Amino acid sequence: MSGTPEEIKPEQVIPGQVPRKVRVVIVDDHAIFRSGLKADLDSRIDVVGEAGTVEQAIAVIAEVQPEVVLLDVHLPGGLGGGGREVISASSALRGSTSFLALSVSDAAEDVVAVIRAGARGYVTKTISGPEISDAVIRVADGDAVFSPRLAGFVLDAFGTSPAEIADDELDRLSARELEVMRLIARGYSYKEVAKELFISIKTVETHVSAVLRKLQLSSRHELTKWAAERRLL
Amino acid sequence: MTTAMQRPPLVRSSDRMIAGVCRGLADHLGWPVKYIRLGMVLASFAGGAGLAFYAWLWVMVPTADESARRNSRRPASPIAPSVSMPPSVSMPPAVTAPDGGAQPLPLSAPAPVFASWFRLRRIQYGKEILLGAGLLLVAAILIVRQFGVEVPLGTLIPAAAILGGASIAWMQLDETRRAGLVDKTKADQAGGWVRLAAGLALVVAGVLVMVSGSGSWEQTWLALLASIAVLGGVALVLLPWGLKFWKDLETERAARVRETERAEIAAHLHDSVLQTLALIQRRAGSEQDVVRLARAQERELRTWLYRDAAKDAGLLAERIAAAAAEVEDAHGHAVDVVSVGDAAMTDRHEALVLAAREAMHNAARHGGGAVSVYLESSDTGSEVFVRDRGPGFDPDAVPEDRLGVKESIIGRMKRHGGTAVINSNSEGTEVRLKLPVENADKAENRNGEAKA
Repeated sequence: MSGTPEEIKPEQVIPGQVPRKVRVVIVDDHAIFRSGLKADLDSRIDVVGEAGTVEQAIAVIAEVQPEVVLLDVHLPGGLGGGGREVISASSALRGSTSFLALSVSDAAEDVVAVIRAGARGYVTKTISGPEISDAVIRVADGDAVFSPRLAGFVLDAFGTSPAEIADDELDRLSARELEVMRLIARGYSYKEVAKELFISIKTVETHVSAVLRKLQLSSRHELTKWAAERRLL
Repeated sequence: MTTAMQRPPLVRSSDRMIAGVCRGLADHLGWPVKYIRLGMVLASFAGGAGLAFYAWLWVMVPTADESARRNSRRPASPIAPSVSMPPSVSMPPAVTAPDGGAQPLPLSAPAPVFASWFRLRRIQYGKEILLGAGLLLVAAILIVRQFGVEVPLGTLIPAAAILGGASIAWMQLDETRRAGLVDKTKADQAGGWVRLAAGLALVVAGVLVMVSGSGSWEQTWLALLASIAVLGGVALVLLPWGLKFWKDLETERAARVRETERAEIAAHLHDSVLQTLALIQRRAGSEQDVVRLARAQERELRTWLYRDAAKDAGLLAERIAAAAAEVEDAHGHAVDVVSVGDAAMTDRHEALVLAAREAMHNAARHGGGAVSVYLESSDTGSEVFVRDRGPGFDPDAVPEDRLGVKESIIGRMKRHGGTAVINSNSEGTEVRLKLPVENADKAENRNGEAKA
């Protein structure tokens, strides 16, 4: 597209960050998509491995031990579990390797399943090159990456009213977390969210990570029911 | 002929004295209900015939509700649409219509119309006519016996039993075939088994009585045991074959369903994806066209794949998504919609959709990039946020004669009790539309008054 230079906002280099390259493995069953993605990722990222099936992915990840795995939700092979299966099988590397889910699927059950398996974020495959690079860096720094759509799923699953103090902490979002999720769903970047709410980017990241943890750990009745309903599509 | 066809169906009326029988009969025959009631009472004195007739009608004639329910249930088979049935097997719904008056047959072909009319009539009233004839025959025999004429009842009764049993069993087969082995609701199946068993029992009893020459009970009993033993043996031998045939039939049906599904998917892919790919190849030079085509196709395919079947059509989220699709097609920029919750459409929501569409048009036109749309509906109201990444503009500096923003967005929202806020800076523009629930406002006002 011709009119999109405004969209491109490379992450400003955070002072104190060592100019190292993030080691990444790309897992996707389409070779064309893998090579396209590799070309899109900028110079801060070093692609050290690729895989096209569940088995290959598990082997490659165990061998090169990357910092970030870009993982397609739908993958052939294995027991049919796709990206979720890769994450579970690589649980030994939980501390050092983070997973960022990539999908063309809009279906909530795919997204939520892979997040609950342990992925640190979810982005759609239509994401632009600089955005995906930012997302990879963010995940490598231990933060969570939410697309507007994932934020929408979260709001849908947890409800849009803030938590009472008496509620189980895991089952509802706090008022601040709701605000952050709403802004992300509205298409705001973390920086814009921070500006809108007069908080630091670091605080935004803390809130997003908290939401991710709730999404992963909550046994909230509505959440499971919601996921089950969506599976009935 | 035509009067008979336009006659209202015989159902028990809700406007009733005892069970609505007389009223229903009066409606059906077109006679005054007084005469029917009088006739019924008079007939009751003739050896209780009126009472018996009344009781029989009470049991046999459905109420208006029951009749309507049954007729609405009949043509709608839950899996019928997914299984392609040959047209000869499926009955046209007109046959089951209660009045039989609505026949969608062309009048230009008199001969077939006449033939099919006959067929319909026979199916509709055949059973009743047969039953009536049988009862008349029985009555005639009884009367003739009264006058001392010897009637060979010993042969007639078993023969009648065999005939009746066989016809019940065959009727069952006919109905299963008619339903195309599709309408397998539990109730129907149970009824079928009962009918089969009754038919079988009648036939066996009839044959036995006939063969044993209406002999003593003991003989009959022995013969019955023997025949049951034989039947059991035959069943034991034939059971494996029967099961195998049944399994084959099931497999074949499943395969047919799969094949139908596959054909449907293939047809859809051919109509949509392949056509789009062909178009993209031909327009490969124009980047904007390619993006537009790809987005439109993606959207269409997504809707088809992930569509929530349980979700009602025509709700707010769907309307917003449709508006976004329209804008996307018109301007060639991606419009991403995220929606949380949903609301039913009203006139006010219609205004919200129109205002949101206008905002999306502006965002795509002036923003020149991807547009984010977020819809949130809850108990308190609906909010829509439309955001672009354009250079931004000063909402106060918009000339008075430009109606787009002022009239179509802000004015429209105000008129319907909502608000519109435009927030623009150098990093983009966001239009925030808010439509509170009408009743909530009123309730709040009332609460306020109560407190005051």
